[in-house]
Amino acid sequence: MTSEQKGARILVIDDEPQIRKLLKVTLQAHQYEIEEAATGEEGIVQCSIAHPDLVVLDLGLPDMSGMDVLVRVREWSSVPIIVLTAKDREADKIKALDGGADDYVTKPFGMGELVARIRVALRHVAKSVQEPILKFNELIIDLAQRSVMRSGERVKLTPTEYDLLKLLAANADKVITQRQLLQQVWGGHHSETESHYLRVYISHLRKKLEEDPTMPKLIVTEPGIGYRFVTPDPEI
Amino acid sequence: MKQQRAYLWVTLSIILLTIALKLFGPSIDLVNIALVYLLPVLLSAVYGGKGPSLFAAGLGVLIFDFFFVPPHLSFSVTDLRYLVSFAIFLFVAALTGSLASKLKLQLEYSKQREAHTASLYALSKEMNAFADLEPLLRHTCFQVSSSVQSEAVIYLPSGQGELALAASSSIPPIWGMNESETVIARWVYSQGERAGKGANTLREASGLYIPLRIEEKTYGVLGVHLGAAAPNPETLRLLNALGEIAASAIGRLKLGEEAKLVHLTAESERLRTAILDSVSHELRTPLATVIGSATALIENDDLFGREDRTELLSTIRDGALRMNRLVSNLLGMVQLESGMLTLRKKWCDVEDMIGVVLKQVEDFRQQRVIRVRLPEHVPLILGDEVLLEQVLVNVVSNAIKYSPDRSEITMLVDEEEEAILISIHDQGIGIGPADRERIFDKFYRAESSKHVPGTGLGLAICRGIIELHGGTIAAGSNNDKGTVITISLPLHDDHRSRAVHAEGGMELP
Repeated sequence: MTSEQKGARILVIDDEPQIRKLLKVTLQAHQYEIEEAATGEEGIVQCSIAHPDLVVLDLGLPDMSGMDVLVRVREWSSVPIIVLTAKDREADKIKALDGGADDYVTKPFGMGELVARIRVALRHVAKSVQEPILKFNELIIDLAQRSVMRSGERVKLTPTEYDLLKLLAANADKVITQRQLLQQVWGGHHSETESHYLRVYISHLRKKLEEDPTMPKLIVTEPGIGYRFVTPDPEI
Repeated sequence: MKQQRAYLWVTLSIILLTIALKLFGPSIDLVNIALVYLLPVLLSAVYGGKGPSLFAAGLGVLIFDFFFVPPHLSFSVTDLRYLVSFAIFLFVAALTGSLASKLKLQLEYSKQREAHTASLYALSKEMNAFADLEPLLRHTCFQVSSSVQSEAVIYLPSGQGELALAASSSIPPIWGMNESETVIARWVYSQGERAGKGANTLREASGLYIPLRIEEKTYGVLGVHLGAAAPNPETLRLLNALGEIAASAIGRLKLGEEAKLVHLTAESERLRTAILDSVSHELRTPLATVIGSATALIENDDLFGREDRTELLSTIRDGALRMNRLVSNLLGMVQLESGMLTLRKKWCDVEDMIGVVLKQVEDFRQQRVIRVRLPEHVPLILGDEVLLEQVLVNVVSNAIKYSPDRSEITMLVDEEEEAILISIHDQGIGIGPADRERIFDKFYRAESSKHVPGTGLGLAICRGIIELHGGTIAAGSNNDKGTVITISLPLHDDHRSRAVHAEGGMELP
């Protein structure tokens, strides 16, 4: 954990007192400061008063949909938002992510997973200036040179493959939806059915970068949502 | 018209006969001439009926008297004994005439009867062919209508038990819909007796209403719109017979429906018991461990060492995860069965899906080795990625669950002409031939698997999802050592062109 993350203020918007209690106890134990809101309306107000560093937002709220809260907050704030959703609500997750949420966690979730997502989201805010070289153990991406090195050897990538990798790596550990990838790599016009392009290029990238493409460790699929570039554990 | 022609023929034949007798007259005896005049009487009786025969007799007597009885060419009779002859002649003519016409009537009756019997026989034979009530009722109406040349309707009790028009010989019905007709039909239904024209009750009604009853049970009412005249006994007999046939056919269908319902009820009862058994067991066992471990930790915190605490906490987590699986499975089943599950179809990479599956079962597989064998090029398939992954996770989890640690599990992918085959081979306990189909039934668990906890829902959900994709899933034996589950998913028509297109569109490094 970077030092500036300590004491970060997190606003939890969830109608279930049990969940709020759980989050408060465990996140406080991780040195975070917690604010709580039980309704969407209260959450929006708290967002402007308390100026949280991150928001954990439950998509299923009683008074208004979490989606609406997300949209309303995004109108004036770029605070990182992590949404909590129920299982098999892929459509909601995609909607939230495309609507400005930074990441999602599926209920029921392990605490470790949530804390990891919070750290990644806070880190991306802290990292304001983009570094010219991204290093992930033996994988080095030189953004200025547009070159990729793996274990000291240059990896030959097509321009599209490179753009795809760059986008994923720049958002390391954050989920990127298929739509976001298609839009940013292929540009404006694309249809949902063209997701097969993405499949093919991801498969090519994996063949070039992964040790075992059937068990990818770097570019991990988020079923039904998109992909996540996972920062490998630092080598000992 | 027909009657008039008969009179004409009688007159003509008597005139011709008279001319002939006049020509050969002198040589024939008077008694024989009288007998010759009986001939047209008999013939007209047989072909024309009572009227023409009496007419023939009268005309015959007059002409016989005028031309042959002295004094000739006069109606006067000199010998009074001739009057007796005339009387006898008329009597014989009247008698034969009426006998013949009776005979004719009887002939007609028997012809009609034969026709009725034939139509009844045909109807009863056709009735057995109907599997549904509605076409049966409509057909009955048509048959009745064509037999009696008028409107026919059938009333049956509706869902609320109220009698209502169920079928009619004309579409839309032109008779039988209005209040008074329905009221009579209801009365007939409740009393089980016929009413209306030709019956003992409500003779002034516009139709005849016959209860459709077999033994003590009335199934409905047959209504026939009759003209002004009351129906003749033969028609009544026919309508009764038609009613009986219809009643027995309806009865047969109703009995069949009831039997089906009884079977369904028994089946749903069996399912309910299975659900209760499964859910209560699958819910209570982890609940017991969760509650037990949690209370132990809260009440006697100081008694446990670090390792014990971790152990108890893991138990709580595992119990909760197990309940979570049950809830997911139940919800999945409900979604599938209610048709709420809609596929979000996209192009899926089987290799990618297998990667996700392997990651999900990583902790669970312990020391088991999972090998993946893929062809050089795996075509993309059009399907719901999340659901298909769920299927694969379920099947691979089963392979792990029912096979010993350190054994080998193989996932094979094969491309066929129009399908992609994914098979999962394990070296576990295997599935008996008798269970290979039934394990896909919900809540069914093979006897040999009872020692391993499970809901009996996983494979049922798998089959539901695969079938939604237009594919198949089947279980077999892995060379007598373990199980093979084979999933076949249809390849979309343009998967090749798409794959090729994507390759072709690639930039070279």
